[in-house]
Amino acid sequence: MSKLGRVVEAVEKYNRFVLDQVKRARTDEKFGRELITRWSETKAKTPVTHTPTGLPLPRLALPEIDEPGEIARYLFGEGLPGEFPFLNGAYREMYLEPVRENELGSYGRNGDKNEVAAEMSPANRSKVPTRPPRQSRPPEEPTRLFSGLMLAEDTNERFHYLTQHQRTHRLSTAFDGPTLYGIDSDADGVFGKIGEGGVAIDTVEDMVRLYDGFDLGSPNFSASMTISGPAPIIMAMYIAAAKSRFGSKVVPKLRGTIQADIFKEVQAQNETIFPIEASLRFLTDMVEFTTRKLPRWYPISISGYHIGEAGSTPVQQAAYTLSNGFAYAEMFAGRGIPVDQFGPRLSFFLDCGLDAEYIALARVSRRIWAIGMRDAYGAGPRGQLFKLHTQTSGRSLIAAEFKNNLTRTAAELMLAYMNATNSCHSNSADEPFTTPSEEWIRLAAHGQAILLEESGIFKHTMNMLSGSPGMKAVERAVEAGILDEFREIERLGGVLAAVEDRFQRSQIQNAAHRYEQQIYDGTRPIIGLNRYRNGTDDIPEVKLARTPRAKQQLQVDRLKKFKKKNVEKAKHALDKLVDVVERGENCFPALLDAVEVSSLGQITGRLQEVVGRFRPMV
Amino acid sequence: MAAPIRILTAVPICDGHDSAINTINLEFIRHGIEVIYLGYHRSVGDIVRAAIQEDVRAIGISSYNGGHIEFFAEVVDLLRKRGASDIKVFGGGGGTITHEDAIAMRRKGVEQIFFAGTSLTEMTDYVRDNYGKARKKRSLSKSREIELARELTEIEGTYGKGKRPARKRKIANPQPPIRNSKVIGFTGPGGAGKTTLIDELVLRILLRQPTARIAILSHDPSVVGEGALLGDRATMINSQNDRVFMRSMATRGQAGGLSPATHDCLALLAQSNFDYVIIETVGTGQEAMPFQKNGIVDLTVLVMNPDYGSQLQLQKIVMLDLADVVVVNKSDLQRARTAHSEIEQRLEQNRRAQRLIDTVAKRHRDPGVDRLFDLISADRTR
Ligand code: B12
Repeated sequence: MSKLGRVVEAVEKYNRFVLDQVKRARTDEKFGRELITRWSETKAKTPVTHTPTGLPLPRLALPEIDEPGEIARYLFGEGLPGEFPFLNGAYREMYLEPVRENELGSYGRNGDKNEVAAEMSPANRSKVPTRPPRQSRPPEEPTRLFSGLMLAEDTNERFHYLTQHQRTHRLSTAFDGPTLYGIDSDADGVFGKIGEGGVAIDTVEDMVRLYDGFDLGSPNFSASMTISGPAPIIMAMYIAAAKSRFGSKVVPKLRGTIQADIFKEVQAQNETIFPIEASLRFLTDMVEFTTRKLPRWYPISISGYHIGEAGSTPVQQAAYTLSNGFAYAEMFAGRGIPVDQFGPRLSFFLDCGLDAEYIALARVSRRIWAIGMRDAYGAGPRGQLFKLHTQTSGRSLIAAEFKNNLTRTAAELMLAYMNATNSCHSNSADEPFTTPSEEWIRLAAHGQAILLEESGIFKHTMNMLSGSPGMKAVERAVEAGILDEFREIERLGGVLAAVEDRFQRSQIQNAAHRYEQQIYDGTRPIIGLNRYRNGTDDIPEVKLARTPRAKQQLQVDRLKKFKKKNVEKAKHALDKLVDVVERGENCFPALLDAVEVSSLGQITGRLQEVVGRFRPMV
Repeated sequence: MAAPIRILTAVPICDGHDSAINTINLEFIRHGIEVIYLGYHRSVGDIVRAAIQEDVRAIGISSYNGGHIEFFAEVVDLLRKRGASDIKVFGGGGGTITHEDAIAMRRKGVEQIFFAGTSLTEMTDYVRDNYGKARKKRSLSKSREIELARELTEIEGTYGKGKRPARKRKIANPQPPIRNSKVIGFTGPGGAGKTTLIDELVLRILLRQPTARIAILSHDPSVVGEGALLGDRATMINSQNDRVFMRSMATRGQAGGLSPATHDCLALLAQSNFDYVIIETVGTGQEAMPFQKNGIVDLTVLVMNPDYGSQLQLQKIVMLDLADVVVVNKSDLQRARTAHSEIEQRLEQNRRAQRLIDTVAKRHRDPGVDRLFDLISADRTR
């Protein structure tokens, strides 16, 4: 049995344990009394807050139960926010307004726990993250705009513009196509793609320019990089750039996230560049290095977003993401990295669309992850947390009558926050057409602020919308669905074997095909497309940000100069790298040396000579 | 019944948005179209080369990461330059291709752009209406490659009409064979890794024999009158090369792993100045013996998966008697050692000089594949 089979068993066993506790609470009087005492204490300690209209509300809402069996079912089956198995939330408080003095109770000192959430996760391609308002300070304006355009200095300028009024600098970096595929800007046939859809990075010099003027070692700075295939090389460039500016003392202070999720690349996003096994090995080399040397770095963001956007069903999305996560955990543990060292450095990224499953998809995922990590992997409390970043669905946004996309995104945001996501990015209404323009980014950002700050839905009370009978029904169905998917993957020999069998890919493709068919046969209503169509296409004034040829040429020229300057040194460093790779040692330190004198494409190219190229699956 | 329409589909370089094209491919094949799918992250050169060799009616491109005006235009231009402008170009990219862009693209020779919100039926209808009728008289081909591709189409077409040519087709103007082709047939059950193995051999030939030219005839299953997804090109990354001529064929209802037209196509390729002609059957059953005895195939290779079941199963596999070389691929699997000795025993019964080689084709620079390469190229290294 692979570890995934053990996770299934652990969840089943835990569910039986909950039922046993319910029974025990009803039969064992002492235990029942203990539960009732705990329950009343929890309630008594919950501060009461007052809404602007004067309505008193508890800061934590709990079900109205007083019978020990039901109390046990709640406490063990769901857990209070911030308590195992974390169905209601990884942390307490989350989106709540700061406690006013007259409201202080003993429940929920205002910790800074959602700091972690705020700092984690590269929204793959999201633009408008809102950090949940921090407790001790007035809520900030939305931070971390996903950006990347043209050359490093252009993106740097954009970064400075975006953070000019902000105290904390949380940058989220989008790379251009050649960079995502580990190719140099002077490679054949990619000239027109330089700086399109993201920033062009070829060398450590570009990396220095990219974050110029930011204090990379500051606790108020974090960088997120949305890249997976060549992630270890880009990570090495980031460290090298930081060292060249601040000396090697800065390394342990670096904070941020790199996506680096290989399984989902093979399953859905299609940016794998080395054969799977080699890719996983380079990933593990990086994780081994960063968990030791950069303890505040998130070296992987286990992502379902791309799986969902590629067209999977929500249950498939959650099941593949979680099982990928468990497979990584197995791999890292197999390398000898202690689970309590890597566990807390894993973060997650899910999609949120309009299907009913999204009412509880992340809630259930959080619970399964916690149980699996605790009971199948022996992780301590910090390694059990499913730290989640959510992005609203880009695919649900369509071109026809595109302004409706505002409503779609608003509904998705509501669902995302009902799932107690730790951070969230909302898409802009012009999503189907282009990298969003400022007008629509602003509306998307404000959508989050309206929900969290203006409305009273999330800011007064934890659990405001949790636990409805419908939500419970969805939770049960979704959990059963996810476990079924796990069993199927287990039957195929585990995640890696299933991936090599194209299992997840073909499931996703079939689901995507069904989805499109449903749109065009009308069984899936899409307003403005197959219902209430007005017949005219109102396409927004799209400002297309194209990289001028002169800039593209500049990037190529710079790269050529860099290569010329380093011919000899590059050869030496790459030979050394190849040597380390051939010997099977951790190659990350050699990568750190190689990036000083060689380009992304040179490194990718040499590595491919040794380990081969990724053979795409249809 | 008319021969199925053949279309090539692909996603441009530095672009991995394949969800739309995957759906469209599925829809096309459900409507009787044969789709040669080249995959995502593909260069203009790869697309045009494949379209010419496969002699498709049109190329469907799905582009999302920008630069579409230039990319589509480059495809059209290169087709024209190569003398293949009767291959049409169409495509889509959701909302990223604006109406204005589409006008510019049409001016540059793109036939049709499908906007966001187009129904799947509209697309299949378009393909049937525009590429379903027989081609008009075609201009003289500009290169031997185009000529060869067209001749293969003609052969396939003849069989497609249900006519079995009474006698062996005469090859129009056979060039004096400068090179003597070595014809190698690969067969074996589905999932044994034939495609990967062939692509790894191609890589070795290209690296070690700098002037060698290779032809590949690859097969995917299809039912009479229905479409097929011919996806080998997407995974055969090393075979997308100017020294490789690759052709994908659907079996069009014929059992046994090959198409009715295969034999004639192979005969043509064997006389077309390639050093190696490689033919790959679809995944075959135990009784299959796809290659004719004393036919054109010089060397037959049976590729096995170690997970064939019990030793008894081996008795039923006919190709174990006939193959010159038996490869146990995926020899990193647990069962591989047992498989090797069971097959070895089985081969001993034959009392013939058969070779047994273990490979892990998916592994880069696999020594087993090296051995197979040495065996195949023994008489060829110049
Ligand atoms: C799904 C999606 C993804 C998925 C892709 C999964 C996959 N395997 O395909 C994920 C999440 C992985 C992804 C990643 C990225 N994406 Co994206 N993605 C989308 C999204 C949301 C939908 C596209 C889609 O598949 N729609 C479903 C299809 C079926 O419908 P359709 O697009 O309307 O197409 C119709 C027709 O045009 C036609 N059609 C399309 N192609 C063809 C071809 C032929 C031959 C025919 C006949 C018809 C046809 O068929 C469809 C049905 O009517 C779009 C935004 C949007 N809402 O459209 C962004 C979008 C395309 N992505 C974008 C970007 C930038 C990226 C990234 C580069 C981000 C980054 N820097 O990391 C990465 C790159 C990924 C890669 N490997 O290349 C941008 C492109 C911007 C631009 N060109 O200016 C978009 C527009 C979003 C945005 N506004 O920023 N993405």
